[in-house]
Amino acid sequence: MKEVFRFKKLDAYTTSVFTPASIALHLDYADRFGVSKMFVANPMTQIKLTPDEFREHNNKVIAAVKQHPDRFVGQFTVNPMYRRESLDEIDRCLDAGMMGTRLYQQVKINDPVYAPILEKLASLNILIFMHGECQMGVGGYKMKYDVKKVPTISTPNDFVDVAQRYPEAMFQFAHIGGGSDWECMCKTFEPYPNIYVDTGGSNNEEYMIDFALKHLGEDRLLFGSDNSLYQSIGKIFASELTDSQKEKLFYKNYKRILNKGGFHVD
Amino acid sequence: MWIDINAYTGHWPYKQLYKNTLSGLLERMDRFGVDKACVANLSALHFKNTQSANESLQVELKSLQQANRRFIPFAVINPNYPAWQNDLEKCLKLGFRGIRLYPQYHDYLPENENCVKLVEQCKKEGLVVALTVRMVDSRQRSWLDIPHVAGTEVGERNLRNFMPLIRAVPDARYFILNMANGWSVDAEDVELLKSENILFDTSGRSIHFMPDLLKQYGAHKFAFGTHSPVLDYITGMLRIESLQAHEATEHEKELMRSGNALRFL
Repeated sequence: MKEVFRFKKLDAYTTSVFTPASIALHLDYADRFGVSKMFVANPMTQIKLTPDEFREHNNKVIAAVKQHPDRFVGQFTVNPMYRRESLDEIDRCLDAGMMGTRLYQQVKINDPVYAPILEKLASLNILIFMHGECQMGVGGYKMKYDVKKVPTISTPNDFVDVAQRYPEAMFQFAHIGGGSDWECMCKTFEPYPNIYVDTGGSNNEEYMIDFALKHLGEDRLLFGSDNSLYQSIGKIFASELTDSQKEKLFYKNYKRILNKGGFHVD
Repeated sequence: MWIDINAYTGHWPYKQLYKNTLSGLLERMDRFGVDKACVANLSALHFKNTQSANESLQVELKSLQQANRRFIPFAVINPNYPAWQNDLEKCLKLGFRGIRLYPQYHDYLPENENCVKLVEQCKKEGLVVALTVRMVDSRQRSWLDIPHVAGTEVGERNLRNFMPLIRAVPDARYFILNMANGWSVDAEDVELLKSENILFDTSGRSIHFMPDLLKQYGAHKFAFGTHSPVLDYITGMLRIESLQAHEATEHEKELMRSGNALRFL
């Protein structure tokens, strides 16, 4: 455990339902593994995410951050189907101290309706963090094996599409450990320096982190948990990353990206 | 002392594994301070005749000479294929200390008559029976892999699928490896799972928060496991080492590191 505590950590992907029990678990995890700040938002759900719903989601995050300002940093969600309301919500959330997005699967990231949202976020140098999956039968990928999920889940190719269209923007594809094919993700993203990944998720296959390093380099990896307490830490310490690479993954990369947007965390 | 009750040598046909030999495993064991490992030949999961993989494991063990003392071999037996009884006998003579069963990969149900007979025989011979709930996360599966996919009609297996076998031979000695897809079982099976002759390894995804599981089951029910080289080598260790003093005593941690495994082996 001494080795775990040698590295300062920012968890770029904490998910919470914001009950007292879940908040207690997050704080326990942070203390147990030396995580200094958790970037938090609601879990992905199948709801329509109307303006009332996304405001309610974001209000929960704001309230949790107010309760624990030294532990949590908020991320906001919007739904581009509601253009005006989403653009207003970005301003409201940034004014409330939130530092990034947590976008879900209501609309694919490369849907044209996302354009005004992406352009605004890019102009503010805010990392555009969205849920993504790379599983056969999901989101248009190898649909012969259709697993009957909503068709609007974003795939790695969707991220590549927007990364090419907006080379000035920064994108974070959620959780290479989220269960999907991480080899596919990393190989798809390799040529696009403005796509970052976080290492969160319950899947802790051996060599996942080393593979991500090999294909994406040491500056594009962000530490995330997605509430997988042990796996998120274990997979990194099992890897062959050097101390300097671990420092970047756990802390420096995300801090650098946040600084670009004018956000400062310790 | 650390004993890993869930490790492998061998190949997975859908992905390049790393350090997937006994020498590679020894490197990891030395790097992280693990003394011994229970190992089986991973290639056996995709063989019809698993005995050839067991024999390969023996050859590999011999090639290590003295270092092979750090390994405790487990045989993969397919009770759905001819002459499994002969295979078991041969493996006993070769010094295997237990068997691992993979009904998902060998196309039978755990409650299959031959599987029950196999476990009864293991009980008589003092062999541990290891049941692996999940090998890999099905969401990233290859198109050639088994069609048990999370969230679909043919979902991944879970602990409940193995209960008919455990109920059929309740006093065999079991390792339940790589716990995934939850702990939900019928009420009467909860007490069965708490019995002294069943041990869970610490590699699985369903070990979400260890302190809670220790309250429910007790420290005597868990043993260090990695599921290496499929899963990372450290997570199973972290589940034990991150326990705080009020959650597990040093004695209880040592039980989980190796003491519980030694009770079975």
